[in-house]
Amino acid sequence: MAENLTDPEWKKGSAELLVLSLLEDQARHGYDISKLIQIRSGGALRFHVTSLYPLLHRLEKQGWIEGRWVEKPEQRRRRYYRLTAPGRKALGSKQKSWRDFVAVISRITGIEHA
Amino acid sequence: MTPGAEAELVEELAQHLEDRYRESMSGGADEEDAYQTTVSELDDMYPLAQGIERNQRMARYDAVPAGDSGRGNWLEDGWRDLRYAVRTMWNSPIFVLFAVLTLGLGIGANTTVFTVVNTLILNPLPVENTAELEALAASDMKKSSKSAATYPISYADWKDYQARNEVFRSLAGYTAPRVVTLQESGESGRMFSELVTDNYFLTLGLAPAKGRFFLPEEGVVPGTHAVAVMNYATWQSRFGGAADIVGGTLRLNSIVFTVVGVAPPGFIGVNAVFGPDLWIPAAMAEQFLPNEMHNALSDRSKAVFQALGRRKPGITEAQAQANLSAIASRLAREYPTANEGHTITVRPIREALYGSSMGSSAQMLFASAALLMVVGIVLLIACSNVANLLLARAAARRQEMAVRVAMGASRQRLVRQLLTESVLLGLLSGAVGMFAGYAGLQLLFGTLPGAANFVTPKLDATVFGFALIISVATGFVFGTIPAIQASRASVSEALKEAARTTGRSRRRVTLANSLLVGQVAFSFLLLMTAALFLRSIGRAYQMDPGFQTAHLAVLMTSPGQAGYGKAQTKAFYKEVRERVARIPGVESDSWSSNLPLWARSVSGLQVEGQQPRSQADQIRSIVNIVDAGYFETAGVAIETGREFTNVDREDSAPVAIVNAKVAEDFWPGGNSGSRPLGKRIQIPGENKMRQIVGVARTGNYSTWGEAPQHCVYVPLEQDYSDAMTLYVRSKGSPEEILLPVQHEVRSAAPQVLAVDIRTGSQIIDGGLFQAKVGVGMLSVFGLLALGMESWRIRSISGGGRSGCAWR
Repeated sequence: MAENLTDPEWKKGSAELLVLSLLEDQARHGYDISKLIQIRSGGALRFHVTSLYPLLHRLEKQGWIEGRWVEKPEQRRRRYYRLTAPGRKALGSKQKSWRDFVAVISRITGIEHA
Repeated sequence: MTPGAEAELVEELAQHLEDRYRESMSGGADEEDAYQTTVSELDDMYPLAQGIERNQRMARYDAVPAGDSGRGNWLEDGWRDLRYAVRTMWNSPIFVLFAVLTLGLGIGANTTVFTVVNTLILNPLPVENTAELEALAASDMKKSSKSAATYPISYADWKDYQARNEVFRSLAGYTAPRVVTLQESGESGRMFSELVTDNYFLTLGLAPAKGRFFLPEEGVVPGTHAVAVMNYATWQSRFGGAADIVGGTLRLNSIVFTVVGVAPPGFIGVNAVFGPDLWIPAAMAEQFLPNEMHNALSDRSKAVFQALGRRKPGITEAQAQANLSAIASRLAREYPTANEGHTITVRPIREALYGSSMGSSAQMLFASAALLMVVGIVLLIACSNVANLLLARAAARRQEMAVRVAMGASRQRLVRQLLTESVLLGLLSGAVGMFAGYAGLQLLFGTLPGAANFVTPKLDATVFGFALIISVATGFVFGTIPAIQASRASVSEALKEAARTTGRSRRRVTLANSLLVGQVAFSFLLLMTAALFLRSIGRAYQMDPGFQTAHLAVLMTSPGQAGYGKAQTKAFYKEVRERVARIPGVESDSWSSNLPLWARSVSGLQVEGQQPRSQADQIRSIVNIVDAGYFETAGVAIETGREFTNVDREDSAPVAIVNAKVAEDFWPGGNSGSRPLGKRIQIPGENKMRQIVGVARTGNYSTWGEAPQHCVYVPLEQDYSDAMTLYVRSKGSPEEILLPVQHEVRSAAPQVLAVDIRTGSQIIDGGLFQAKVGVGMLSVFGLLALGMESWRIRSISGGGRSGCAWR
C-alpha cells in the first residue's frame, strides 16, 4: 500500500490538493507541510524537497498561495505560505471533484468510506 | 519567478534539509543515519531540475547554475558573477554599508598619505628629466659628508661656476621666496618673489603657460629690466586668470614691473611645499634685497643664491662633482676672504626641494614610509574586520553553497563568484575611499594659508591607479579566506556544522581573537606614540624660549620696499613707536631685525684677544639689530651690564650686547658673568670693533628648543636696516591690540606693507606646526584602528547572532 502511495502518479493528482488543504486553516512553512503530510499519512506519504518546493513555487506562481519571509527573534527566517482567495476557491473546487471522484470509485468498487 | 526568488528557493531547500537532519538527530539517530536520511531527500533531482528548466531565467541569471562544472565562457561567467554579486549585495544593505564604510576609511587614509607622498616625493617637480638636474650649494670643506649643512652661494661665484664648468648644459641660480611689497591704489599687499637668473626656466626645461620667460639680455645689466614671470596659481587666484595679464604692470617695492609671462600650472619653483608668486631677473637684486644685502651681485660675501644645473649627456653626478670641486678650490684661492674653506656640493635636485626646515629627502622618505606603513596596517585591520563579517555571512550562506555544490557547481566557480563579490565590495570602498582621501587632503592642505603659494596635492593618474590597485587587492585580501571556507561546504559538513552551532566555529573564533589581540595592541601602540608626542608638544609649549610670548605681538615691515630712503625709514621707525606706545593696552614697543624663531646665523664673528680664525673655522652667530627698549618688550633678561639706550647713537662709541652663550664660550670661568663687559668684538660684515656693554640671557632664535647659539645684539641707531619687525608688549591679551597696532602702522605710512601681525603664541604654533600635523595623523589613524576593533569586539561578543544580523 505504502509503495503504491509514493508512486509519482498518485501524488501528481493529489499533491496540490494536499498542500492547499494543509494551508486552509493557517500559514505554514515548507518543512511543516512536508512533516504534516508524513505524520497524517502515518508515514505512507512523503514529499522530498526536490518536488515539494517546485510545487510550492508553482502554486505561488498560479496565485493560489502566497509565500512570505517571517523573522522571529533567535531564529533564522522562514518562508510561510498562506492560502490566497483564488487558492481558497481552487481548493473548494478540488475538494469537490475529489469527493465526486471518491464517491464514483466507491460506487463502482463497493468500497465504503472508512 | 524573480532572480531573488530563486536564491530564496535555495535558502528554503537548505533550511528544509537542515531541519530534517536535526530532527533525525534529536530522534536518536546517529550522525551517519541522520546524514543518510537527509541526503536521501536529494536522491531524485529530476523534479527540481525540471522546475529549473521550466524557469529558463534560472540558467541565465544564476551565478552558478545547476550542473555548471566550470567549463563556461570566461567572460560570460564573469558577467554572470558580477550580476549575482550586485544582487547579493543589494539584498544585504547593512552589511555592505558597514563594509564599504570601514574599508573606505582605510582606503581613504591610504589615498591621503599616498597623495602627499606622490606630491612631495614621487613627483615633486613638474619638469622634464629631473634625473639630469643637480642642485649646487656651498658647504664647509672640512665636512666631506653629503649630509653636511649647505649654504647659499654668491651671484659672482655662480657666474664663475657657470662660465668655467664643463659638465652642465646650463647652470641657473635662484633665491628662496622673499617678501616683496605690492603697491596698488594706495594700498600695500604682500607677495613672494624669487630672484632667478635669466636661464632658470631654460635649465628646468619649462614652457610658459602664457607669454614668455626671461631673455638673455634681461640678465645682463643690473637694474634695467623690470620684468616678472607670474605663478600660474597666483594669476588664477589673485588676478582671476585675467586674459591681459601678460603686458600688465605691477608696482613692486616702488618699481613698476611688466609681467611678461605665466609659468606652467603646478610649478612653484624648486620648492616642495611653498613657492613664490613671481620670478624676477636676478639682475634686479639691488631693488629687491634689503639694504644690508646691497651689492649682492658683486660682493662674494653676500650669498643668497642656490644653483641648479642640467648635466650634459653622458656626464655622471660624480664627474660633475669633481669638475665643480676643482672650480671651487680655484675660487677659494682667488677670493679667500669670501670662499676660503668652502667647497661646493653637487646633489640630486630633490635634495634641494625641502629646504632646511623639512630635512633631507632621506628623512622625508623615511617619514612617509612610516606613515604609509601605519595607514597600510589600518587598512589591514579594516580588511580583517570585513573578512570576519564575511566569515559570519559565509556561515549563514553555507547551506546555500552546499546545495549549489550538491547540484554540481564546481568549487572553483564558487570561489570565483564569492571573490567577484568581495572585489566589487573593494572597488565600491575604493570609490568611497577616494572621496574620504579627497576630504582628508582638503583638511590637510586647507589649513595652509595663502593657497596660491602652496603646492597643490597631485590627485593624478598615479594616485588613482594606487587607489584602484589597493581597492582590488583589498577585495582579495578580505575575500579569499571566507570564499575558500564557504566553498568547501559539502552538504554533510554544512549540516553537521549547522546542527552544532548557528554561528561561527570555535576554531575561527580563536583565530579571530588572536588576530584581534595583535590589532588592539597595534592601535594602542599608535595612540601611545601619539600621546607621547602630544605630551612633548605640550611640554614644548610650557618650555621657556628665553623671551616672553604671553603678551607679545610682532609685525614685519619693509619700509625700504616702499621706496623709503634712510632718513625717511628712521622717521618711520620713530613715528610708529610713538603711535603704538599711545595705544591703550600697550605696555611697550620696540624694533628688532629678527622674527622670533626665524633668525639665521651668519659666520665671521671676531672676538678680540682670540686667535683670528681661518675662514674654514669661523664663529657662527645670530646678529640681531634692535632698538632701545627691545629687551624689556621681548622679555629677554639682561644678566649683566646694561641694555641699549638713547645714548647709543650713530656717532657714539660702537656697542654690542652678547648672550650668555657667547660669554661662557669666550670668557669662561666660574662666576664669569661680568667678565665680557668692556671686551670688544667685531660682527660679520663690519670692520669696526664694538664694546660689549651687557650680557643677555640665551634663548631660542631659529627653532623651538634648539641647542644654544651665539647671539650678538647691536643698536639700530648704529646699524641701520630698512626691514625691521615691530615688537609690542601688551598689558592684557595681545589679541586685543593686534588691530589697533596694525592700524597705527598703516596710518604712519600707508605705502609700507603691514600685514600678518601675529601673537607670540601664534609664532609658537607655527614653529610646532609640522610636529602637530604628524601627531594629528597618528592619533586619527590610531583612533580609526581602535574604533574598528571595538566594533569588531562587539560583533564577536555578540556571538552567533551576527551571522544572521548581517544578512
